[in-house]
Amino acid sequence: MLPLILRRLAQLPIILLVIYTVTLWLAWRIPGNPLENPEGRRPPAAIQEAMQRQYNLHSFPAFYTSYLANATGIRSLVRGTGPEAPGAPARAVFDLGPSLQYEDWRVNEILADALPVSITLGALAIAIALAIGVTTGVIGAWRPGSLADHATLALALVGVSLPSFVVGSLLLLVFGVWIAWMPVGGWGRPADMVLPALTLSLPFAAYIARLTRMGMLEQLSADYITTARSKGVREGAIYLRHALKNAFLPVLSFLGPAGALAMTGSFVVERVFSVPGIGQHFVNAVQNKDLFLIIGVVLVLATMMVLFNLAVDVLYRWVDPRIE
Amino acid sequence: MRRCGLILLLAGVAGAMLVSGSREPRADLTIINRGAIHTVDPQRMSYLQDLILARMLFEGLVRQDIFTTGQDPIPAAAETWEIERFDEPLPNGSGATALRERYTFHLSPDSRWSNGEPIRAQDFVFSWRRAILPDTASDYAGLFMMIRGATRFAAWRQERTSAFSHESFPSSAARHAAADALWQRTLERFEQDVGIHAVDDLTLEIVLEEPTPFFLDLCAFATFFPVYPPLVEQFDVLDRDTGLIMHESGWTKPDRIVSNGPFMLTRWRFKRDMRLETNPYHRRRDDLAIRSIEIPSVEEPNACVLAFESGRVDWVSDVSAEYRARMLEQKAEFYRENADRVAELRARGLDQFQLDRLLPDDPRKNIHAVPVFGTYFYNFNCRPRLADGRTNPFADARVRRAFAMAIDKQSLVDNVVRLGNPTAHTLIPPGSIGGYESPTGLRCISDARDGAEREAVLAEARALLAQAGYPDPAAFPEVEVLFSKDGGHDLIAQAVARDWQQNLGVPVRLAQKETRIYAADMKKGDFMTARAGWYGDYGDPTTFLELNRTSDGNNDRGYHSVAYDSLLDAARIELDPVKRMSILSRAERLIMEQELPMVPLFHYVQVYLFDPDVFSGITPHPRLTQSLFLADILGDGRGPDRPRVMRASPSDPEFGERVSSN
Repeated sequence: MLPLILRRLAQLPIILLVIYTVTLWLAWRIPGNPLENPEGRRPPAAIQEAMQRQYNLHSFPAFYTSYLANATGIRSLVRGTGPEAPGAPARAVFDLGPSLQYEDWRVNEILADALPVSITLGALAIAIALAIGVTTGVIGAWRPGSLADHATLALALVGVSLPSFVVGSLLLLVFGVWIAWMPVGGWGRPADMVLPALTLSLPFAAYIARLTRMGMLEQLSADYITTARSKGVREGAIYLRHALKNAFLPVLSFLGPAGALAMTGSFVVERVFSVPGIGQHFVNAVQNKDLFLIIGVVLVLATMMVLFNLAVDVLYRWVDPRIE
Repeated sequence: MRRCGLILLLAGVAGAMLVSGSREPRADLTIINRGAIHTVDPQRMSYLQDLILARMLFEGLVRQDIFTTGQDPIPAAAETWEIERFDEPLPNGSGATALRERYTFHLSPDSRWSNGEPIRAQDFVFSWRRAILPDTASDYAGLFMMIRGATRFAAWRQERTSAFSHESFPSSAARHAAADALWQRTLERFEQDVGIHAVDDLTLEIVLEEPTPFFLDLCAFATFFPVYPPLVEQFDVLDRDTGLIMHESGWTKPDRIVSNGPFMLTRWRFKRDMRLETNPYHRRRDDLAIRSIEIPSVEEPNACVLAFESGRVDWVSDVSAEYRARMLEQKAEFYRENADRVAELRARGLDQFQLDRLLPDDPRKNIHAVPVFGTYFYNFNCRPRLADGRTNPFADARVRRAFAMAIDKQSLVDNVVRLGNPTAHTLIPPGSIGGYESPTGLRCISDARDGAEREAVLAEARALLAQAGYPDPAAFPEVEVLFSKDGGHDLIAQAVARDWQQNLGVPVRLAQKETRIYAADMKKGDFMTARAGWYGDYGDPTTFLELNRTSDGNNDRGYHSVAYDSLLDAARIELDPVKRMSILSRAERLIMEQELPMVPLFHYVQVYLFDPDVFSGITPHPRLTQSLFLADILGDGRGPDRPRVMRASPSDPEFGERVSSN
């Protein structure tokens, strides 16, 4: 197992370098000037030139190399992490640069604020999705073709097909305004997390329900279940101890990408519920051509994707030792 | 199975790890500002939401009395001031003199920064120098150029730093020494040439290039607010490789910021929320009727409205476009139901918020359309050639006039925008600036009283096209209409295009672009016609009219008129305020009736959501500068607890009738 982990971790920097290069190349080509307020007054041309120089926006190679030096920590190795200005806080070792759009913030600060929020929300959503999905999947597989089965299948279909801005707005209207059980937007209290986590979890829950149901049906028709039944094992034990254990494996492999997807933020859910997560930066940064933020977000998300898939592979081997 | 269970358990625990930060008590006032804050640095800000915030955190020499129709400047950091004119001998030794204006401000000895330190005149000198220095890249640096020597100083500094970056030095040490020397020279030169001086700790003397009637008004604008030098100096550092002052971010964060306004920043989580608390050292802290303000970041329009309806926020300062029409229809319905009472209250001359207070309780009362100091218009490219080298048909003023006449502005406002905006025939919203008489503007088809008159206007427009060399409109070069996505600009563009197609018979093509690309195209002059808009910054016509000066950085139209420029110049040196206003009015008439570098479509309105029975202190004045300094929750036992109302003059009563429902 250790060689697997080491090999994957060794691949990470190469993957990130490729992603950085491609992202920067694409982002650089977005037209427009990131330093300008499109609706506001314009500073003189010479000032704009000076600003471009300050951020190395005048030359692609200069930006490419200086960003790389800052983000990889090479620069801090050379010059130390001492502050640029006497009163300023020390620079991070892996400095992802300033936000061009929100001048008072550095990308490191933005990510440090947003990432825990998205991870919490995503983890909660996955937990809810597992609870809902596995339960409904097992119920559905209990009596295939029964009313309960059809009902859970229909629910799953709805969960997959309804876009989250519809579900989110509906939940907000019903629970936030009409019966006013839940707060409308905001972040910080446990109650703030219920509606967004539920909204985010539904598509995952639906998929998990279908995976569980299929897995259960397959396992229940297997020989070892017939053997167990003939030996007089109770039905409950057959379902939960024998069939579910094996039926859960496809769900587990789905959890890798699903976890990464849920925890890297959802633009729609974050917007509807005013959740200060990382998903919004994905879209806004591109619209604003905020180069540093675009690259920062993409790099962090890429890292998370790699680590999540690694974690799932490790778990998979642990659960099912037959897998090499 | 046990392992599966363990994984499930771990996932559950991870999910349940809730970040439950300690919640502070609910703030006295919760508001939703429009959009995320870009910067808290007064000299560098330019977004509207930043400017609103600046007025809570900082304070200029004066502030506007936002409840008087003239928005008279009243004391803020400065207690009193004197204004005098004098002749200054020109330095060329010719014996000639120039008429200057000197403002002497006496700061209040009780004015304190939020750390308790006294505010000194030198702090203003530092902050204004910061705004003028080209290195700061202040969007509003232009407002300082009426100060004696500021233009020359800025140009000199720009020229010197630019030369420095191209200069070669024998060693990096030599380069660094030269950068230090250049900065020293810059400081000396500023002291010597620019009319901003601290006479002593409490006396600030400003000399203007020439008498400028709206200078006091400018002093209430955010770019003129002071920043705390001992703090900011540590973040504005000299980059000895380029010779420029570079701006490190970070001093605006709650744990470091020092400000001089009525409130101070105690929490700022990026795109999440902000919290302001009373500045304990502000000299009028005891007059404040609210102690804390919470500003959650809510960007989704639906969530904004729901947050208000659920009672989470007290004031939504800008309801987004998709909700406005429906809401305003509700408000109109409410007024119809109470028509008699509304008519009676209007006859009493009450402002719109106070009028609502005196109407029966109803949630529809909370919707308020307020006039805004801004105009929505369409730009015509006035350059002789288009960006692709083709001859530009819009270089001819007759073509621009014809196109302007063919737009049905009333239908646009009634059927497309549907916000009850007044249609615009001038660039400056009429009635927004005291003492200024707006010209009539060019007639368009919707000004016609009947079909025949409408036909006559159209015939005149087609005749203008024919005179300009386009007798067959179908042969007119295809007109491109540039606009940005979002914000309803697409619907307006479609309506304008349809008017031009149907009424003039010219071919039209729509070009929708991302906001940033649209802005870049406008700046390059790469368009034929394009949607645009402008908000005034200060209470003088020039805040709109300078936009069309040939040399202005925001003259996207590439408009060039010697006559127009010389009218603006004449107004600059005119000392009689009445004559000056009339010259400016002539200038506006020239561009709004003859030359039409742009065609104004409507004046902006904004939709506020707040309960007028609960919340007082915001003004419906068309300049739309709010100062939450005056905010008051009615009936909470703090502050005057009586609603503030608009007054014709400062001597009129400040407060209106108490509201019975509270």
